[in-house]
Amino acid sequence: MDRRLSIKTLFIISAGAALLPSCSQNDAKSSLSLKNIRIDGKEETLLAAISKTIIPKTSTPGAGDVSAHLFALMMVDDCYPPDAQDKFLKGMNEFEDFSKKKLNKSFVKSTSAEREELLQSIEDKKEIPGNVASFYNSMRRLTLQAYTTSEYYLTQVQGYKLVPGKFQGCVPVKWQAKYG
Amino acid sequence: MGDNKQATSFDAIVIGSGMSGGWAAKEFCEKGLKTLVLERGRDVVHLKDYPTTNMMPWEFKHRGEIPYEIQKENPVVSRCYAFREDAAHFFVKDTEHPYVENKPFDWIRGYQVGGKSIMWARQTQRWSDFDFEGPARDGFAVDWPIRYKDLAPWYSYVEKFAGISGNKDGLPNLPDGEFLPPLELSCVENYFKEIVEKNYKGRNVIYARCAHLTAPQPVHLEQGRGQCQNRNLCQRGCPFGGYYNSNSTTIPWAQRTGNMTLRPFSVVHSIIYDDEKGKAVGAHVIDSKTKESIEYYAPVIFVNAGAINTNLVLLNSISKCFPNGLGNENGLLGKYFAFHNYRARISAQYDGFKDSTTEGGRPTSAYIPRFRNLHKQETDFLRGYACTFGSGRRPIRNMDGSGESLKKNLISKPELGAWGVGSQMMGETIPKETNHVSLDANQKDEWGIPLIKLSVDYDDNDEKMIKDFFEQYTEMFTKAGFTDIKPSDSKQAPGLDIHEMGGVRMGNDPTTSLLNKWNQLHNCKNVFVTDGACMTSTSTQNPSLTYMAMTARAADYAISQLKKGEL
Repeated sequence: MDRRLSIKTLFIISAGAALLPSCSQNDAKSSLSLKNIRIDGKEETLLAAISKTIIPKTSTPGAGDVSAHLFALMMVDDCYPPDAQDKFLKGMNEFEDFSKKKLNKSFVKSTSAEREELLQSIEDKKEIPGNVASFYNSMRRLTLQAYTTSEYYLTQVQGYKLVPGKFQGCVPVKWQAKYG
Repeated sequence: MGDNKQATSFDAIVIGSGMSGGWAAKEFCEKGLKTLVLERGRDVVHLKDYPTTNMMPWEFKHRGEIPYEIQKENPVVSRCYAFREDAAHFFVKDTEHPYVENKPFDWIRGYQVGGKSIMWARQTQRWSDFDFEGPARDGFAVDWPIRYKDLAPWYSYVEKFAGISGNKDGLPNLPDGEFLPPLELSCVENYFKEIVEKNYKGRNVIYARCAHLTAPQPVHLEQGRGQCQNRNLCQRGCPFGGYYNSNSTTIPWAQRTGNMTLRPFSVVHSIIYDDEKGKAVGAHVIDSKTKESIEYYAPVIFVNAGAINTNLVLLNSISKCFPNGLGNENGLLGKYFAFHNYRARISAQYDGFKDSTTEGGRPTSAYIPRFRNLHKQETDFLRGYACTFGSGRRPIRNMDGSGESLKKNLISKPELGAWGVGSQMMGETIPKETNHVSLDANQKDEWGIPLIKLSVDYDDNDEKMIKDFFEQYTEMFTKAGFTDIKPSDSKQAPGLDIHEMGGVRMGNDPTTSLLNKWNQLHNCKNVFVTDGACMTSTSTQNPSLTYMAMTARAADYAISQLKKGEL
């Protein structure tokens, strides 16, 4: 398998998805070709909105800039066992119901303040359906993984070095890359 | 066989191109012998065939994780710590090469030129006479036919060529070698060393010797290798040739002589024994792709297929003289199989040295040589264990919540956590007749070779040793003021240590062993076994360096015997 190619493809696809007007996505297919789970364009938009709410774009890149939701989908598709995939999908559907119940509208049509409020209520564990909580926890974990292992994060924030060149056993603590 | 038989003759045949086979190839080719090296897997050319070596973490599709389907289909290899997205292509998948587990045994394999030397952990401690004299002193297995003095010059010989980083510690239980400079220990490791050496006579914390070029010598530059750059990504193959593997060192060296014929995709079915001549004459090979049967001939054969496969090849080498496997007159072939007990670990925290940390990657750790039952028997179990000791600090970030507060925590400077410390035990296991490998009576692989059946297990001695390790290390950690001390027993099956040994053990007496002091089969002197299969006992050291030294020594002997016309 050519991993470089598949990574590139991932980003090209995600760029393409961004160009589609959001209203036409309801019936659209997912922009990823997935092997095990089925996701439509509407659901993909929901996942993107959730990940962007978890790590928003500010003066620095957020989850959307590293296509965290596509990474999350790919990981659920490739690395989750079938029962966990089912649970994720169930939770995703229930999440939208939960949003409509709490906010009286779809998550993607809510304001960012409303979105944050909804996620906070899940964080606070207030009467949350079990599948919603587990779906959100998976989505949160995968968004964090996508973000903290992205090129942006490892190079700009962590100062990752592929070739450290030396090892020092005892140096004064200063802000430094530790994942190297 | 029959019609497709092609006869090709060489001066020497080496079965396997990994840790020890590479050395046999180098020694023979350097001395002018036309040498056929048979490798069952594909070729892996240094640099060219390390596809992931320069990949950045974000370039791995699953960020290192092995997809669920692959794990489900390959549970054994998936339990190996190094079977990750960056090195998975160097590991045999369970589905590709099945074997029979009479008892659970995680057999980790690398079928390619270089074998497991590509992904090994690169730890290279010498054995001492506390190890070689162990079976005789403690009354298990059989007496080793060699002592440290027999191997010492060969340790030096392979260390100089491979490049071993180490510190001259002057310990009788872990002899010094030909060392390139050591890397540093961390402040906590140096502190623990002080505490341990002050509180316990005969217990030492040292820098673990490893096969890394910390200061390349002319011979290493001539090999085309350069200084270790502390990447700690060795399992991918090193673009600098910073650690020793066959691919960067012995195999290209042998190739350069013009005397080596390297034949990948060559599964050795058996060694051909001529009942009339009373010796082995060649190897029966099956091309793994075309399934063609081919016979190759040579006056001397080195079997370096990896411990279990070496047993398999010999067990499957049936002749009128040896109906139970080549050289197997005493019926002990495949028996007294052993391994290292890697089940137990202990971790803790240390709150000191708050102002200090480490920087860069270190491809090794500190090491605590065996101290149990060293000079005399002192516990209710035989032998002992050596341990790694490592330390480091990780950044801690508050990853709770979501939105801008989480974002702020993610991109701000993190605090460093307390020092984490930990040790892993490497316990000597006692070879027993009941721990054995044999051929399955019914099942065969796709080349018509019987599947190997593994019946290997822990025993009471191993359990007692784990208990002692937990007690002793809890005490040592406590004395050092470490907190949150957590012992853990992985309960992993034998095999995951990837130190399988024995089955074709060395010994003085042909009635109780298979190989003599030169690694020749007692009953078939032109067949030598110098990989893990030859081991009479297991010691507490990572065994590869000893295989390398034994191989160079045995090859030197074989060449001298060939010249005298004795083989």
